[in-house]
Amino acid sequence: MRAFFLAVLVLLPIVGGALIPLLPFRSRKQMMIYTEGVVLLNSLLALLVLTNRPEGAFVLFRFTSNLSLSFSLDGLGTVFAALISVLWPLATLYAFEYMSHEEHEKFFFMFYTMTFGITMGIALAEDLVTMYCFYEMLTLVTLPLVIHTLTREAVLAGRTYLYYSLGGAAFAFIGVIFILVYGTSADFVAGGVLDLTKIGSRTNLLLLVYVLCFFGFSVKAAMWPFSGWLPKAGVAPTPVTALLHAVAVVKAGAFATMRITYYSFGTEFLRGTWAQTAVLIPIVFTIVYGCSRALKETHLKRRLAWSTVSNLSYILFGTALMTPLGLVGALCHMICHAVIKICSFFCAGAVICQSGREYIHQLDGLGKKMPKVFVIFTVSGLALMGVPGLAGFISKWNLVKAALDSAHPLAVVGVAALMISALLTAIYMLTISVRAFVLSPKTEGEVENLSHGSLASDRSSSTEEAGNADASAAHKIVPYEEVKDPGWMMLLPLVLFVAAMLVIGLHPQPLIDAFTQIASAIQ
Amino acid sequence: MGIWILIPVFLPVIAGVLLLLPVKQEDIGDGSRESLTRLHTVTAAVLVVSAVLALLAAWSGDNSYTWFELMEGIPIYFQVDDVSRLFVTVFSIAWVLVCFYAFTYMEHEGKERRFFGFYLIVYGVLVALCFSGNLVTMYLFYELMTLTSMPMVLHSGSRESIMAALKYLFYSMCGAYLGLFAIFFLYKYCDSITFTAGGTLNLALAQGHTGILLAAVMAALIGFGAKAGMFPLHAWLPTAHPVAPAPASAVLSGIIAKAGVLSIVRVVFYIVGADFIRGTWVQTAWMTLSLLTVFMGSMLAFREKVVKKRLAYSTVSQVSYILFGLSVLSPTGMEGALLHVVFHAFIKCALFLTAGIFIYRAGLSQVDQLEGIGKKMPKTLWCFTFASLALVGIPPASGFISKWYLAQGALEANVGIFGWAGPAVLLLSALLTAGYLLSIVTNGFFPKVKSNAHTAIAAEKNSLLENSAGGTQTETSSCQVSDPLAGVTEAPLGMLIPLAIFAALSILLGVFPNPLIQFVSKIAAAVM
Repeated sequence: MRAFFLAVLVLLPIVGGALIPLLPFRSRKQMMIYTEGVVLLNSLLALLVLTNRPEGAFVLFRFTSNLSLSFSLDGLGTVFAALISVLWPLATLYAFEYMSHEEHEKFFFMFYTMTFGITMGIALAEDLVTMYCFYEMLTLVTLPLVIHTLTREAVLAGRTYLYYSLGGAAFAFIGVIFILVYGTSADFVAGGVLDLTKIGSRTNLLLLVYVLCFFGFSVKAAMWPFSGWLPKAGVAPTPVTALLHAVAVVKAGAFATMRITYYSFGTEFLRGTWAQTAVLIPIVFTIVYGCSRALKETHLKRRLAWSTVSNLSYILFGTALMTPLGLVGALCHMICHAVIKICSFFCAGAVICQSGREYIHQLDGLGKKMPKVFVIFTVSGLALMGVPGLAGFISKWNLVKAALDSAHPLAVVGVAALMISALLTAIYMLTISVRAFVLSPKTEGEVENLSHGSLASDRSSSTEEAGNADASAAHKIVPYEEVKDPGWMMLLPLVLFVAAMLVIGLHPQPLIDAFTQIASAIQ
Repeated sequence: MGIWILIPVFLPVIAGVLLLLPVKQEDIGDGSRESLTRLHTVTAAVLVVSAVLALLAAWSGDNSYTWFELMEGIPIYFQVDDVSRLFVTVFSIAWVLVCFYAFTYMEHEGKERRFFGFYLIVYGVLVALCFSGNLVTMYLFYELMTLTSMPMVLHSGSRESIMAALKYLFYSMCGAYLGLFAIFFLYKYCDSITFTAGGTLNLALAQGHTGILLAAVMAALIGFGAKAGMFPLHAWLPTAHPVAPAPASAVLSGIIAKAGVLSIVRVVFYIVGADFIRGTWVQTAWMTLSLLTVFMGSMLAFREKVVKKRLAYSTVSQVSYILFGLSVLSPTGMEGALLHVVFHAFIKCALFLTAGIFIYRAGLSQVDQLEGIGKKMPKTLWCFTFASLALVGIPPASGFISKWYLAQGALEANVGIFGWAGPAVLLLSALLTAGYLLSIVTNGFFPKVKSNAHTAIAAEKNSLLENSAGGTQTETSSCQVSDPLAGVTEAPLGMLIPLAIFAALSILLGVFPNPLIQFVSKIAAAVM
């Protein structure tokens, strides 16, 4: 397989997506078929390329002699690329049904499909410069998706997202420059590229730069104190929150931190230094902080978003252990959390779409009307809290194993944080299920009141919300008796995700072996 | 060969799940006699068959079976040893008897399909927990037990019961995660996570990490102690038991609390090894916590007015007897603990079933409403009396034997001040037990003559008493109206027979304890 195909994987969705508003579709169905076709084609091609790994790099474009946009494929990139290739077609399918009552569909699917290509670019980037370019582009191309509904709340959220992400990227850029200066090259090499002779006595400076760079990239992975944007971005349509804010965008942040830690700065240089401590402290804090905020949150999607904040820090925790085992744990959780969280988000989306209820206290009794969705939601909740037999336990086990193995003093604190977080997860996920299955339903009037009451008390949506066309109009409260399970386009992805959770949970060894092999290249 | 260990696990689980699936409108909740009879037949058949298979699997020699590898070196593995045999036998007997009782009782709670569905599932999970052969398997079924038994607590669907169920869930989860925390460390420092009598801790590997390992063991004790109602995670018990239907509270107290004990036995004696914690601060803390719980539970039970809540506090206290017996780490203490596991399971089931009968027949849940109940339901109250005597520990009833061993174990073990403080607290608690249980008995059989506030009622009651004492059957209608116990009759046979069996067991096991004592001493000798 030639390296040229790597560029195809990146460019096909970008070009194909950009064409969506230009092509003269005669019906919505045609557009759906075209979009799904492009995404599916790219995914299949991606899986083909990933299984026949091309040797060498493909240079798309050269800025100067040593700065270029180039792609190559290594183990870590394979994992991320495979993850998004599997999830994207399913999420697109789900989006068709979800978006059927939203406006500006064409632009939505244009940016949605382009994001696929950009994220692929991050996964396949050969060097830090390429990754940085696509990282910036990712911010820009996902911004329209966040502000899609054009409500005041959405625009504010989009602005927050932009500021956080661009600010983070600026810090990350410092790291890029220093790697270019002090590294042998900007390429990703397992074990790092720093040239110790060039550094000389400037070790502490480089460590500081690493910390800045790590913080910069971890903005997208929503590490405290940079986590504020993620729950706010929950105003976006659910396919966006599910795929981008639980998987693609946030995992791109986590992926970038893995790249700089294991492939640019190198763990040998970092392990045991104050820099490691400096990044571990906010990570461990975020693990508990995200869960606590989730517990406090009454808006269904925002609760899941806070839960994502906490879980992303599990991945960062594995990364920051700076051992091969830590990388295995981090990759494990990257995959497991992706499947679990996209599943819970899709359930939440189905609930919002089918019943118009967005707040948790409005969900009473819905389990009887939407049994399939709520059973799946409960399973994803159990997986997230780490019940053995489901995916979450596997990643938690590997993370803890790595933590105990690393002998870093903060590792034991991290393990304790993971356990506290698991307990809080149990609380905030299972209360929803219990509400839905056991409590008797509230009347429509009560639900409406609750909805307005909650909105009025909600800082970010104090104005214009009630009268605005979108969020409230599209999701009118459906009378309890008329609520029902969604159609096959929404249910099929859910069922597949549950199957994936079970398969990973019961037979994870192939996955773990693959990750171990990737990590074995690192000392 | 050992694959048929899985049958008693899967048969009830699958049957239970099938019961829970939504069915055609005419089959659910219409309460028709026929559909109920069908439900009862199916439940009874499945449960009895699974129980027989479970007992066969347990008593037909040392079996083991690796189901599949969860991760490298972490199989889901079942093995049968003497501890599994003891627990699975007790669990099965109690589960089947309570099930027959529940057939009658649940008629007044409704939603039988759901109740018996979960009832069957939990039985399967419990069998699997008893047969678990390593830490991860045990943890898996421990979590599943919590999750599947929770719906039995919130059965009535009232706000109170839901809050209680969530409290139960979160206390148990908190405990489970503390346990998991310990399992991580034990996995790292033990030769294997397979249960081996005497422990598998690799002392060379653990060298220098003793502090953190001891902390982990303590976390496991507190964590798994949550299910056993040990302080500080005991508070769910008195909240969850009164709101659950009586059969559910019976098995929660009698059986599921013992699952916590089983997990502690497994961790301490089959993974860590008694020698590792003997004489350390962990042992001291464990003894202190369990004695504190014994005392506190009894005191709270003594001043509690709601019958089921009183029994729940009594469980808090009595299960900590067991934990204290384990914590002294002497063979005799462990024998006493295991004996008390058996005896307390049967006794507490009997007590809760009686409380259920009071609610079912007369709607009485308060202690002081039960005055004179013995005149109306003499058989029921006699069963209650026998069970109470056994729990107090009056020879020759069963509780006496276990407490004798517990006290002897404490005196024998070299545990300093606890050697005599332990037996003293046990004795004090026994007095309190007598106070809170036998007062129900005496008031039930010999109602007090009240003189001040309830003169009228008391007078009527008095005349009633005289009437019956005189052997005359004529009762004035005015008496019946004002008497809260009017019209209350003896419990139906379907409830009385299981109750009588439990009561008989709690006495007879004390009269003929030798086979059981030999069996538990074999276990204790193997691990110490």
